[in-house]
Amino acid sequence: MDHFPTNWGRPRNDAFDAYGTYPIAQHPRNAVDVFADGVQRTQQPIVTGTSVLAIKYKDGIMMAADNLASYGSLARFKDVQRLHPVGDYTVIGAGGDMSDFQYIQQMLEELVTEEFASQDGHTLGPVEIHEYMSHVMYARRSKINPLWNSLVIGGFKNGKSFLSYVDLLGTTYTASTIATGYGSMIAQPLLRKAVEGNETTLTEEEALKIIESSMRVLFYRDARSINKFQVATITEKGATISESRHLETSWSFAEGIRGYGSQTQ
Amino acid sequence: MPAMLSTQPHGLPHPHMQTEQGPQQRQFNPYTENGGTILAIAGKDFSVIAGDTRQSEGYSIQTRYAPKVFRLTDRAVLAVNGFAADGNMFVKKVRQRLEWYRHAHAKDMPLRAIARLIQTMLYARRFFPYYVYNILGGIEEDGSGAVYSFDPVGSYEREACRAAGAAQSLVQPFLDNQIYFKNQTPAPGTSHPTHLPLPTVLKLVIDSFTGATERHIEVGDGLEIYVVLAKGASTQALEGIRGIQETTVTNDGERVFIIQRELKKD
Amino acid sequence: MTSIGTGYDLSASTYSPDGRIFQVEYANKAVENSGTAIGLKVKDGVVLAVEKLVHSKLLVPGVNRRIHTVDKHIGLASAGLLADSRHLANRSRDEAVNYRETMHSPPQLKSVAERVGLYLQAYTLYSSVRPFGVSTILGGVDKNGPQLFVLEPSGTYHGYHGAAVGKGRQLAKTELEKLQLADLTMREAVMQAARIIYLVHEDAKEKEFELEMSWIGEETGNKHVPVPEDLLKEAETQAKAALEDFE
Repeated sequence: MDHFPTNWGRPRNDAFDAYGTYPIAQHPRNAVDVFADGVQRTQQPIVTGTSVLAIKYKDGIMMAADNLASYGSLARFKDVQRLHPVGDYTVIGAGGDMSDFQYIQQMLEELVTEEFASQDGHTLGPVEIHEYMSHVMYARRSKINPLWNSLVIGGFKNGKSFLSYVDLLGTTYTASTIATGYGSMIAQPLLRKAVEGNETTLTEEEALKIIESSMRVLFYRDARSINKFQVATITEKGATISESRHLETSWSFAEGIRGYGSQTQ
Repeated sequence: MPAMLSTQPHGLPHPHMQTEQGPQQRQFNPYTENGGTILAIAGKDFSVIAGDTRQSEGYSIQTRYAPKVFRLTDRAVLAVNGFAADGNMFVKKVRQRLEWYRHAHAKDMPLRAIARLIQTMLYARRFFPYYVYNILGGIEEDGSGAVYSFDPVGSYEREACRAAGAAQSLVQPFLDNQIYFKNQTPAPGTSHPTHLPLPTVLKLVIDSFTGATERHIEVGDGLEIYVVLAKGASTQALEGIRGIQETTVTNDGERVFIIQRELKKD
Repeated sequence: MTSIGTGYDLSASTYSPDGRIFQVEYANKAVENSGTAIGLKVKDGVVLAVEKLVHSKLLVPGVNRRIHTVDKHIGLASAGLLADSRHLANRSRDEAVNYRETMHSPPQLKSVAERVGLYLQAYTLYSSVRPFGVSTILGGVDKNGPQLFVLEPSGTYHGYHGAAVGKGRQLAKTELEKLQLADLTMREAVMQAARIIYLVHEDAKEKEFELEMSWIGEETGNKHVPVPEDLLKEAETQAKAALEDFE
């Protein structure tokens, strides 16, 4: 993530200041694209979901995402499920364009159905779903027609837990903590601090606490989030996605912040 | 396409109607940079190929363990650096071609052939390149250690050593100095060695990465060093090394080892 | 079949003077040569059972399945030419997937039956093709509850409470009629299905057979799956015991 807002949405300019030595205020803007007026945007996310968080813990994977789908800065749909079960062993969580995500859900449903109908004794686990999605996402980016999502894939099969990430560029990785979008800046450090090295000892209660506190911080800081989210756990017992949970938050402290509430002086 | 509709009142496709759509322009950028650094050094009868395991995007570490170095055969190891999605796909396709070669010829492809294959595969995508820098290390058919380095569109050459990736600008000068003895003058009556021994090379590799980890934010977390030994080469230098594992598959004679080390995670 | 050799039986695209299509009737003959398949629509689901005649002792047990899965919630049991029924199962899967794609919901059985029926019927129209040599039982649970359909080579399909196709269908039907199907549970239906298959096999005692059973209902999470090994064993034991009592 580039922390210089002026550069957001622009390609990085490594020819100039490769090591990012400029202070923020003086940071040079990359050259203006002279063809900008002639560019037609044929792809951009429209109705979007924000961060997805996921961690490994003792029994498997815990994943969370709030229920908001935004239309720009408008909180458009406030009861959207962004965690989706795939087969019996996997949950896929999505940020980014929600219509693309619905397309992905449908595609995976067909895949799983086809696999079930073959009755060959094989079932798709999280590893297979990850591989499949990475190929779909990479193929679409290679057609310059991406599915505009960050996907988190969590699962548990044959005694092994699995947690991975795939995005619109086809970039993939596995890790014991994953946070997408805004969460990669705000929540990921919190998750790493709490989880790294403790993957095999964290209990479900502890994991839930970590997830909940991270979701709370995200709600306070991410303007595209709401305090209503779902938590998925994927363990030996299978995948469960909770009902929507509400976070109790307090904004009274805001009164004391200069420039926020009504100030006399 | 309203214009086309008005010329076709019956809504039937005109027999000569062009099926091409107009030019498509999109502002989506299909590339990113995922940081990290790779390097390879060739010895007389060995080759060392190494890379860190951090994968990042911008200032975010995506994962602390995403391998960038891959064993292709018992005599070839490939390191890929740049755009990770392209890198992984490229390695997958190279491996597929090597498997087909095995099925057709009942042997592993020789190193110099793999090098040419990689150039062909990269150049095939000249106008939508794989955004990756490749370094191929291994043992030639004559038993010598070799390193081939590539640019994203397939230009390549055989070298004694090469660093690529985020910290190339930090590591390559160090290797130039320590391996090619650039800016070093030998003591009167002596000369620089042409080939460095394996223990020295391993030390240089580890120092390169600890150094790059200190000075470059995109380098760190873990280090994977592959060592490929020629037929009959001594394993003495590898004995007692911490975190070493053999990954040889065939008994053609060449042997592959991997050494895994931690790097600083900050 | 009095009209054999009159020349009207060479093509599915030609009627006989009395309005029959002999190729379709011959297809039904192909079905009659096959081991029996039955389906029971009961209170909480559907049970399918097949008397799979094993033509060689060298065959691995469990191969050449005659019950296929069409969709998560739809099973297909057939009597007749196995290769034809496999093709039909594949076609049914395609139809089910297509329904899912267009309607964004799990297909209803009657829709799949209708589509597959149309497909079968198309093979009764042309001289260049032969009708399918299979009668097919489609069973499953959709939003309207348990459903059971039989598709015949002619392309006709009907909904049933209990269905039987293949060699022993007459006896099987009389047995099914004695049951209070709507009051049975799936577990009870499994026992009855096994008993009926064992009973109708009496006529071809010299041939070996395997009992193949699947079910769909609340107990299986509305998924079409094979009846579990232990339950199948129990049903077979009970069926054999019932046979002995019968004799």
